[in-house]
Amino acid sequence: MDLHCEMIMEEYRAAVPELERLKEAVLRTLRDALDRNGLIVTAVEGRVKTEESLAGKLELKGSKYATLSDITDLVGARIITFYTDDVDRIASMAEQLFEIDWNNSVDKRKLHQLDSFGYNSLHYICRLPGFDFPFELQLRTTLQHAWAAINHDTGYKSGIEIPREYMRRMNRLAGILEMADDEFSRIRSEITDYRRRVQALVQNGKLDDVLLDGDTFRSYIQAKPLDALNKRIAAINQAEIQEAPMIRYLRVLVALQCKTLGDVDRLIHKYEADAYLLARHQLGNTDIDIISSAIGLQNICIVCVLTSGGGKIGLERLFDALNGHNSQNAELAEMTYKLASGLPFMQKQQ
Amino acid sequence: MKTEITHNGNQVIAAFAGRLDTAAAVQTAEDVKPLMELDHKEIILDCTALEYISSSGLRIFLSIRKEAAAHGSKVIVRNINSDIRQVFVMTGFISLFEIQ
Repeated sequence: MDLHCEMIMEEYRAAVPELERLKEAVLRTLRDALDRNGLIVTAVEGRVKTEESLAGKLELKGSKYATLSDITDLVGARIITFYTDDVDRIASMAEQLFEIDWNNSVDKRKLHQLDSFGYNSLHYICRLPGFDFPFELQLRTTLQHAWAAINHDTGYKSGIEIPREYMRRMNRLAGILEMADDEFSRIRSEITDYRRRVQALVQNGKLDDVLLDGDTFRSYIQAKPLDALNKRIAAINQAEIQEAPMIRYLRVLVALQCKTLGDVDRLIHKYEADAYLLARHQLGNTDIDIISSAIGLQNICIVCVLTSGGGKIGLERLFDALNGHNSQNAELAEMTYKLASGLPFMQKQQ
Repeated sequence: MKTEITHNGNQVIAAFAGRLDTAAAVQTAEDVKPLMELDHKEIILDCTALEYISSSGLRIFLSIRKEAAAHGSKVIVRNINSDIRQVFVMTGFISLFEIQ
């Protein structure tokens, strides 16, 4: 290493504490901005270039740099995203957060010829006010990261050029991963569109057009179709209502032959009056003043099972579905059956 | 009313004995405070010797569940007797807890 490079190395050793502070400030700024924008990513990582790595760089092209601050990747930050669309969103976010050196920034995704594939990442050279050194921000998807990491491991890192055949196979894989990245983004967009359509159908009351599944059931529950029933039940003992997850009722509703949200809605309207009577019968003689928001739908399911002739076995299966198979569920089904047997809906059924 | 907390690896077991009624709730809420700070644990509420639970007791169970969720821990209610199980059904609490 010549004297010029030795001087840069000296400058580097003195600058390491500031470089560490820059790295921490950059990571903090990025993480805060991702949180604010509701962007979920695979990883946010950073590093200060090691002395060994810098020495290697200077050995190769030391004359290119007049001073240490001419080296743009002393601090590196990397955000690894799930989707290609997010690379562009985060790039736009970074443009607001940092001063970008456009002359030295490069979008390697756009460097490929029409018939070539390989390393895909967006590299921005940035500055953060208050710091003397620039830093490099790399943005890439998880698949691009996997390719780059493996490519680095197999070829670049060793310093030995790998045969053309292997390079071709690596690049072929880059093409496949690019297709997979595009497909992941397309799937996400289509799922988002599907959820919007479902929400619109739920809001417009076209429930028979919506097949019952996890997503559609959540959208339906968000419209609070059980609110009125739960509040009536709560009023029995002036109880407070605790929000409960409703998703475990999905399989119960499917077992009760609900195929669309329209079926669920009809089931609720058909049995809500009897579900209230059951709750009043159970809670009326107690001083319990706390209930969960699942109580309305739970009682609707109980009434539906009983009026459909499901009997104690049907109730036991219902409790198994709601709370996992348990030897006490049979006893519970027996108690619930006995308790409900004096109610009008059971007598009508008989 | 007695509450005993024991640690067993990744599990923390709170064993309740007696009647968890309004009168006992203040002391029990104090006794279960150590459960509120546990990160990434499986918290077992062992109700083998619990005879009765009131609304105040249900609220204590709920606050344990809320704090556990905030700390990445999981709560399992174990061995409730049939009267208490009926309370869990009539309040819809079986949808709030994993019961074994």
